[in-house]
Amino acid sequence: VTLQQQIRANRWRTLLVVVAFVGLVVVVSAASYAFLGQGGAVGLLAFGLAYGLFAWWNAGRMIGGLTHASPLEKRDDPELYRLVENVSIAAGLPATPPLYLVDDPAPNAFAAGAKPEKAYVAVTSGLRRLMPARELEAVLAHEIAHIRNRDVRLMTLAAVLVGVVAMISDFAFRMAFWGGRGGNRNPVQVISALVALLLAPLAALLLQMALSRRREFLADASAAAMLNDAEAMALALRRLELDTSEVAYADRATAHLYIESPTRAIRGAGGFLAGLFQTHPSLDDRIRALEQAGGFRLSH
Amino acid sequence: VIVLWVLIGIVVVAVLLAMWLFNRLVRLRNEVDTGWSNIDVQLKRRNDLIPNLVEAVKGYAAHERGVFEEVTEARAAVARAAGPGEAGDADSLLGQALGRLFAVAEAYPELQASQNFRQLQEELTDTEDKIASARRYYNSTVLAYNNAGQTFPSLLVARLFGFTAREFFEAGEGERAPVAVAFSS
Repeated sequence: VTLQQQIRANRWRTLLVVVAFVGLVVVVSAASYAFLGQGGAVGLLAFGLAYGLFAWWNAGRMIGGLTHASPLEKRDDPELYRLVENVSIAAGLPATPPLYLVDDPAPNAFAAGAKPEKAYVAVTSGLRRLMPARELEAVLAHEIAHIRNRDVRLMTLAAVLVGVVAMISDFAFRMAFWGGRGGNRNPVQVISALVALLLAPLAALLLQMALSRRREFLADASAAAMLNDAEAMALALRRLELDTSEVAYADRATAHLYIESPTRAIRGAGGFLAGLFQTHPSLDDRIRALEQAGGFRLSH
Repeated sequence: VIVLWVLIGIVVVAVLLAMWLFNRLVRLRNEVDTGWSNIDVQLKRRNDLIPNLVEAVKGYAAHERGVFEEVTEARAAVARAAGPGEAGDADSLLGQALGRLFAVAEAYPELQASQNFRQLQEELTDTEDKIASARRYYNSTVLAYNNAGQTFPSLLVARLFGFTAREFFEAGEGERAPVAVAFSS
């Protein structure tokens, strides 16, 4: 897969996600029709779409808030800033993206932002402490690769829209119980409405997770190519693998943004269903792919 | 009549394809230009640092005139260089000269301890790193552009409209020498 192909594929998938999201909103609204009547369903639909638009405009800030990331100035950590500058130059980005720090001992990093020129890179203080410069540079290169490959737009969109769908169906569900007059409804209608209400957030989650996995391999490979150092990327992933701590402010809406799964519940283990819910390919698989590409073996 | 329409169809498709290939070549060439300007920015930044560095070392080791001249000359050669190939050669010579300058500086603990010198050294290391990053990006854009200009069918468009191959900016042997010295101190 070349970079151009990936960027084009991301554009298509972005469109697909938007269409799927609109579809989901319509399904949820139709389902809530059974409980809320016409006015309620139309209101829900309008509210969902308006909220989606609002969230899209403020996505970067919202994610910053959700993950408790705060801006980091160059004078706070010149060494880290230099690494980001170098990697941005190596990636051919027109400008160095701003840096954010998440005060959390678990080593992790993510990139967010609806547009490439508004994107930023966030690292946890744990990552900063744990990683030697060479591996830190590889992690930053991985995040910069996400920005350059336009993954970040799609991932940010997914994070925001999943949040919206979850909120709407939750809202509809509460309304149904709160506003239910009972007795005069068709039971089939009620059951299908319930199923739709429950399935919608699930569908949104599956959608979000299917989106994020393959691109991790590509970002690893891009980072390795940018730095001309596949081993550094593999060593950094190995270090992340050895550390089992979890990021405190990470949930299902933001998990797929990170370089590795931020919580163990999402990391999961084995099984088909667990595979569906996994936001990231296993670190072992990613290390193996890098070893193959770089023609080296990390000692075990 | 059908033959005529088929011919017109073929011509239209060929023109569209040529336009697409032309645009792609232009885009790739623009990326090469951007990549080169990234390197140029860092080369200029380094060339601005060097006189200060030479002055700082001179303050302690005025008699090492040979090294200073060598550095000054190599710096001028980088500024003069026409095109990436020449700049690459000049760059590796400058790297060697700077390596010798730092080797001289090693002998003066007071110089090593001076705040000014350490800051200059740090900035120089940073610039060297950025030149290396910019070079990796630039060379990858040159590779993509040259490949497009030398493979069929974009080869035809490239020949027709004079898209000539670009030079790589090569890493010289002594290129990383000043960085290594900076880390050992």
